[in-house]
Amino acid sequence: MQSIIAIARNTFRESLRSKILYALFFFAFVLLCLSSFFGTVTIGDQVIVVKNFGLFGISLFTLAYAAIAGTAFLHKELARKTIYNILAKPVRRSEFLLGKYAGMLATALLLAILMLPMVAFFSIALERSFDTGLVLALYGIILQLIVLCAIAIFFSAVVVTPLLSGAFTVALFLAGRSTGYLLHLLETEAVTGFGTSIVRLLYVLLPHLDWLDVSDQVVYGIPVAASHLVWGTLYAICYAGILLVLGVFFFERREFN
Amino acid sequence: MDALQLNSISYAYRSDWLLKRVPTIRDVSLEVAAGESFGFLGHNGAGKTTAIKCILNLVTPQKGEIKILGHDSRSIESRKQVGYLPEQPYFYDHLTVMEIMDMYAALTGIPSGKRRSAIDAALEKVHLQHRAKSRMRSLSKGLTQRVAMAQAIVAEPRVLILDEPFSGLDPVGRKEFADLIRSLKKEGATIFMSSHVLSDVEQLCDRVSIMKQGMIQGVFSLADIQELTHGHYELVIQNPSENLLNELPGANETVSLERAIRLHYPDKTTAHLALEKSIASKAEIGSFAFVHGGLEELFVKLFQSNDVQGV
Repeated sequence: MQSIIAIARNTFRESLRSKILYALFFFAFVLLCLSSFFGTVTIGDQVIVVKNFGLFGISLFTLAYAAIAGTAFLHKELARKTIYNILAKPVRRSEFLLGKYAGMLATALLLAILMLPMVAFFSIALERSFDTGLVLALYGIILQLIVLCAIAIFFSAVVVTPLLSGAFTVALFLAGRSTGYLLHLLETEAVTGFGTSIVRLLYVLLPHLDWLDVSDQVVYGIPVAASHLVWGTLYAICYAGILLVLGVFFFERREFN
Repeated sequence: MDALQLNSISYAYRSDWLLKRVPTIRDVSLEVAAGESFGFLGHNGAGKTTAIKCILNLVTPQKGEIKILGHDSRSIESRKQVGYLPEQPYFYDHLTVMEIMDMYAALTGIPSGKRRSAIDAALEKVHLQHRAKSRMRSLSKGLTQRVAMAQAIVAEPRVLILDEPFSGLDPVGRKEFADLIRSLKKEGATIFMSSHVLSDVEQLCDRVSIMKQGMIQGVFSLADIQELTHGHYELVIQNPSENLLNELPGANETVSLERAIRLHYPDKTTAHLALEKSIASKAEIGSFAFVHGGLEELFVKLFQSNDVQGV
């Protein structure tokens, strides 16, 4: 456990001092400021636009960070050979991977939590009250981050080149955000025969990130059921857990030539 | 009990997923006794670093087994007593020396309460206490090498694996590192060292192994090397005349110095004949001595020989 904490802390510290994090934070701030501007020039409900943009910004930038940092982490360790020195210590490869995951997730969570007050600020300015639903929306984003960081770590452990592991991570993220369409295909019987089995298999295997996202419900004032969040939490933890176990399985067999 | 035991290990890397494996080390066997300092030598690409990676479980040999202090090298237990200084060490740029040291101390299992004192002691040994708060990216190559040594010794390991420990160090740094290695050995640590600086290896090691094309060509005690290399007779003549040089018997090697000439003879009879002729012609003799062969001579001899197994 000491090793996991040490690696996680080191990853977190290094992330906090990297320029990528600050660049993402800056762009998120710009986007949130723009959202308030768009809100003021929009005909209709300004608050909806501000919240929509704001939550989209948090989601986009934190998930982008997870994808970039996660897919590059192992490549960077190998290129700089920092991993040799760590694995030469009494550290299990599983501990290294879990430490990296924990450090990366902690950074992404911090980024998300720091962005929320900005959205809340513009929202309060327009509504004169704090919408607690924003916290629920943030929780939904955090659940997606738990899954996405695990996806990024998994591909980084399995695929050698960062470009490829990045591409797979983004592809799985996009597919995960579209699983609702698969369900729609099944419900409307738009596919038949063997196609149904494939779509059903994909629906089971792909991460249901769109289901974890409750931003739309929050923005449009639709109540979010507590059971949804509980099941969502269990789902995110289990899905990330399975990916990390698989990642460890491949990582332990990897040769560091 | 041996500190390190390599039993017939072979490793071949796969350059790509479907490509055939390329052998890097073949049937390597070694035994390093506890408390011994052992030089692991070889030309570039001989397989030294791969063998070290096998010892540290960074790659898994296809054949053979490795034991560190009696433990299988694949076990966590084996690495609890090992300190490793990598060739060309790299660290996380954004972190300070203290943060890096804290992380490695934690990874070696030093409890948080004892970490600070262990780190201070290690930094003191490499004369780096004054840079504890410096960011890694601000350090020179030599200073980075010192951090690498400090993290290797922070847990006071019983086995130290040093891959090119003198790389990037200035003469003062080299001397300090050599002294440190000597003192660590005196404290009971086993040193397993790969280096291209043969003079340092000669000074620090009890035994050496020489590797060529992935195979161990021989393991030699430093005390035996003089016998193995035979040595030569060296005659130095100051301001020799052309006539004298024409009269002297042919030398193995002739080195022209600024105002002198240095001649190497393999046997005593020819060397004495050359000396007598020089004296007879009233030449000024700079020196005449038997020079023992060293590690460098053995190293070169092994690499020039095609059938090196018999050496």
